[in-house]
Amino acid sequence: MSALLKVEGLRVEIARRGRVMTAIDDVSFEIAAGEILGVVGESGAGKSVTGTAVLGLLERPAFQAAGRILFDGRRIDTLDEDAMRALRGREIAAVFQDPLTSLDPLMTIGDQLTETIRTHLDLTQAEAVERAARLLAEVGIPAPRERLASYPHEMSGGMRQRVVLALAFSCEPRLIIADEPTTALDVSIQAQILDLLRAMCRERGTAVMLVTHDMGVIAEVADRVAVMYAGRLVEVGPTQSLLAEAAHPYTRGLMGSIPDMHRRDVELAQIPGSMPRPDAPVPGCAFHPRCGQALPRCAVERPLTFTAGASEVACWLADPAARSAA
Amino acid sequence: MSLIALRHALGGFWESDLAYRFRRSPVAILAALVGLALLVAAMGAPVLAPYDAFDPAAANAADARLPPASEGMFGDYYTLGTDPQGRDMLSAMLYGLRTSLVVGLASVAAAALAGVLLGLMAGYFGGVLDAFIMRAADVQLSFPAILIALLIDGVARTAMPAALHAELAVPILIAAIAASFWVQYARTVRGLVLVERGRDYVLAAKVTGVSTPRILLSHILPNVLGPVLVIATINLALAILTESTLSFLGVGLPSTQPSLGSLVRIGNEFVFSGDWWISALPGLLLVLLSLSVNIFGDWLRDALNPKLAS
Amino acid sequence: MSFVLGRLGQTVLVLLVAAFVSFSLFRYVGDPVNNMVGQSASLAEREAMRTALGLDDAFVLQFARFVGNALTGDFGMSYRFGQPVATLIAERFPATLELALISMLIATGVGVPLGVWTALHRDHWLSQALMAASLIGVALPTFLIGIALILFFSVWLGWLPSFGRGQVVEIGGWSTGLLTTSGLRALVLPAVTLGVFQLALILRLARAEMLEVMRADFIRFARARGLKPRAIQYRHALRNTLVPVVTMIGLQFGNVFAFSIIVETVFQWPGLGLLVIQAIQFADVPLLAAYLVLIALCFAVINLAVDLAYVAIDPRVRSGGGVRGTV
Repeated sequence: MSALLKVEGLRVEIARRGRVMTAIDDVSFEIAAGEILGVVGESGAGKSVTGTAVLGLLERPAFQAAGRILFDGRRIDTLDEDAMRALRGREIAAVFQDPLTSLDPLMTIGDQLTETIRTHLDLTQAEAVERAARLLAEVGIPAPRERLASYPHEMSGGMRQRVVLALAFSCEPRLIIADEPTTALDVSIQAQILDLLRAMCRERGTAVMLVTHDMGVIAEVADRVAVMYAGRLVEVGPTQSLLAEAAHPYTRGLMGSIPDMHRRDVELAQIPGSMPRPDAPVPGCAFHPRCGQALPRCAVERPLTFTAGASEVACWLADPAARSAA
Repeated sequence: MSLIALRHALGGFWESDLAYRFRRSPVAILAALVGLALLVAAMGAPVLAPYDAFDPAAANAADARLPPASEGMFGDYYTLGTDPQGRDMLSAMLYGLRTSLVVGLASVAAAALAGVLLGLMAGYFGGVLDAFIMRAADVQLSFPAILIALLIDGVARTAMPAALHAELAVPILIAAIAASFWVQYARTVRGLVLVERGRDYVLAAKVTGVSTPRILLSHILPNVLGPVLVIATINLALAILTESTLSFLGVGLPSTQPSLGSLVRIGNEFVFSGDWWISALPGLLLVLLSLSVNIFGDWLRDALNPKLAS
Repeated sequence: MSFVLGRLGQTVLVLLVAAFVSFSLFRYVGDPVNNMVGQSASLAEREAMRTALGLDDAFVLQFARFVGNALTGDFGMSYRFGQPVATLIAERFPATLELALISMLIATGVGVPLGVWTALHRDHWLSQALMAASLIGVALPTFLIGIALILFFSVWLGWLPSFGRGQVVEIGGWSTGLLTTSGLRALVLPAVTLGVFQLALILRLARAEMLEVMRADFIRFARARGLKPRAIQYRHALRNTLVPVVTMIGLQFGNVFAFSIIVETVFQWPGLGLLVIQAIQFADVPLLAAYLVLIALCFAVINLAVDLAYVAIDPRVRSGGGVRGTV
C-alpha cells in the first residue's frame, strides 16, 4: 500500500532575535490510507509543530527549513497558500486540543458547519444545512436539527469536541491531524471522544495523525506509533510490538509512565532529568544525558536509524555492528 | 492587560530581556534621551535660565511680545522672544517645564502610593473593606480623570478664599490629579495580591508567625512593583497633560506660577494677532515632553508584555 | 435579563453618589444664603432665607428634597446668571451633544477601519506610519491641537471660522447647527480637535484587539478548516474584535463630554463645557451641582446603552452569562 502522507527529512526552525533554533530535526515518517499513527512525546518534543507543518500552518517565527511533505504522492509543502487552503478542511482536516476555544463564540455551530461545507463542496445552503444536521447526528449530538442554532457556549466541553469532530469530518477528508484531541476533556469523556474518532475513521477509511503525550491513548487507538524526543524521531513501529518490546531507552521510559490504562493524567516523570530545549541543543543523541545505558559515542555522534524487530529506532544500542562487537 | 501578562512582567522585570529590547529599539532610546534631557533642563532651570521667570522686576513691559531672536529696549537678548508681560520666553519655558514635571511626578507618586496602599488593603483583608474600596473605584472609573481633577480643583477654589487657594495651588493641583488616577493602581495591585496571597511563601510566612503588615511589605510589595512602574510611566504622561490642560483652562496654576499649560493660555489670546510664538513654543515643548514619556511608556508596556512581542 | 437588572442597580447607585456629592457641594461649599441675598442683608433676612430654603431641616430631609427637586429638573438659580440652572443647561446641551456626536462619528468611522487594516497589514510601511501617528495623536494635548488648527486654518489660511457655532436652526426647542453651511463650517475644527485623541485611541485599540483575536484558537481552527482569508478576517476576527471595541467606544463617549470642556474653551463653543468652566471660575455652585448630576446621568445612559449593545452582539451575554469582552 502506498503512503497517503509521506514526510521526508522535515526540519523546522525558529528564528528569534537573529538566532536560529531547530524545533524539528530530520523527521521522516509515513501514514498509509486509513491508518492511525500515534505521535507521542513530552510537551515541547515537536509533535504539534510536525502536525502544524503538515497542515501548512506554520507561522513566523517558525518555518520549514528542509524536507518534503507529500500527500497522495503530491508535494504539498511547496503549494501556494490558496492551493493549500483548498486542501485544508477538504482533504486534510484538523482537531485541536481545546474544544472550548476552537469554535467562534459569536457564531452558531450550524453556521460554522455550513460555512466549512460550502467553502469546499458545491452545495446549496439547504443541502449544507441538511449535511450539517446529519453530521451532528453522526457525532452523537441529540436533537441535531435544533442544535444547529446553538452557540458554542451553550454546550458542554464534550459536546463541543463532538462539534469539532463534525467539522473535521464535514467534507470527508482523507487525513485528520488530531492534536491532543482529548487532553482538555474530563477523563470520563475522553474515552467516548476517542471511541467516536476511531469509529468514524474506521468507517470511512480516514487516516489520522494522532498527536498526544498520553501513552494510554496511543495504546487504545493507534495502529503504529512514532515517538518523538527533542524534535527528533527516536522510534517508529507497530503499536503492539512497540508496547511489548520497545527498542529505544526513552520509549521504555515512556512505557513506565502508564501504570494504569484508566488513569491518564500521569505525566512522563519516570525518567529523571528533563528534555533539552531547542535553544540549548545537546550534541550526539539528545537523550544521552538522561539515558541509563548511554555509550561514550552517544555524547558525540548522532545515532543512525536501525531496524530492531518490527521497529525503526535511532539509537546506538541497536547498532548491529556494536552488538556483534560486544 | 491581562493578569498573566502583568505577572509575567513583574517576574521578568529586571531580566536581560528588557535591556536587550531597549538596545534594539532606537525609538525607545531616543525617547529616553529626550526625556532625560528635558528632566535635566527642568531641574537646572534656575541655573540655565537667562532671566528669573518669577521675578516681576526681571520682566520689562516695554519688551512685551517680541518675536524670537529679538533685542530688547535695554539691550537684553531674547532667544525665543517675550510674552505679553515682557518676560523672556526661554526662561519662562524652562521654569514652566520644571513646574509641569514636578506636578506630574508628584501627582503620579501620590496616586501610586495611595492606589498601592488601598489595593494592598483591599486584596489582603478582603471583606467589607475590599467591597467598599472597589465599589468606590468602580464609581470613579465611570468618570473621566480630567473631569474629576477639574471638579476637585473647582471645589477647592469655591471652598477656599482666593488668596489661600493661590498659595496652595500646587499641592491642590497635585492632590486633584492624584485623586483621579489612583484607581488603576488599586485594581492592579489588588488583583496581584489576590494571586500572591495564595502562594506558598505567603502561607509559609503566616505559619511561621510573621505579622500581617510585615508580610504585606516585605513579601507582596516587591512583587507588585513591576506592573506599578509600568502604569506609573504611562500615567506620568497623562498627569503632565492633565496639569497643562487644567492650567490652560485657568483652573490649575495661576499665571504667576508659569507651567507649560498656563504659558499656552497666556499666548492663546495673541494667536489671532499673529504672535504665534507665545503659545506655540511652550506648546511644542509640552508636546516633546508628552511624546517622549508616552513613547517610552508605550515601549515599556510592550516590552514587558510577551503577548504583543513578535 | 438579570444582567441588565444588575446593571440598572449599579447605575442607580452611581447616580445617588453623584447626587450626594452634588448636594454636599451645594449645601456646604460656600454659604447658599450669602450667595442669594448678598453680603448686605440683615441677620433677620438671612434667618428668613434659611428657613425658606429649609436649611435648618434634618440632613436626610434636605437631601431627599434635593433629589426630589432634581428629579423634576429643578436645580435652583445660577448665582452668576440669575437664571434657573435647568434653563441654562437646556439651552447649552444641544451644542455639546452635536459636537460630541460628530467627533465620535469621525473617530469611529476612521479609527476602526484603520485599526483593523493596520492589524492585517502589520509590516506595511503605511501601517507603521499610522501607528506612529496614532501614538502622537494620543500624546498631543487637546487644547494644543485646537490652537494649532486655529492658527493654520483660521489665522493663516482663513478657510474656517475659529469660534462660535455659526448659524443655528431651532427645531422643536433643539437648536442645531447641522442644517446651515455656516453651522457646519463652524463645526469642522472643534469636531476634529475633539476627535483626534479618540481616533488615535480607537485605532490602537481596534488594532490590538484584532491582533489578539487573530491569535485565538478559533481563528487557527478556522484556518485549519480551509476557510478563505476574507471569511476568517471579516466574518470571524472582525466580529469578535468589535465586541470589546464597541464597549470602549461607548465608554469613551463620557470622555468626549469631559474633553468638550477643553474644546469649547478653545473655540468659544457655546455648550455645556464653556458653561461649567465659567461655573468653576465664578464658584457658581448650583450650576456645578447640576452639571455633576447631569454628567452622571449621561454616563449612566451611555453605560446602559453599551450593555444593551453587548446583549445584541454577544450571545454569551444574552443567555445571562455576563461575560465582558475577552479581557
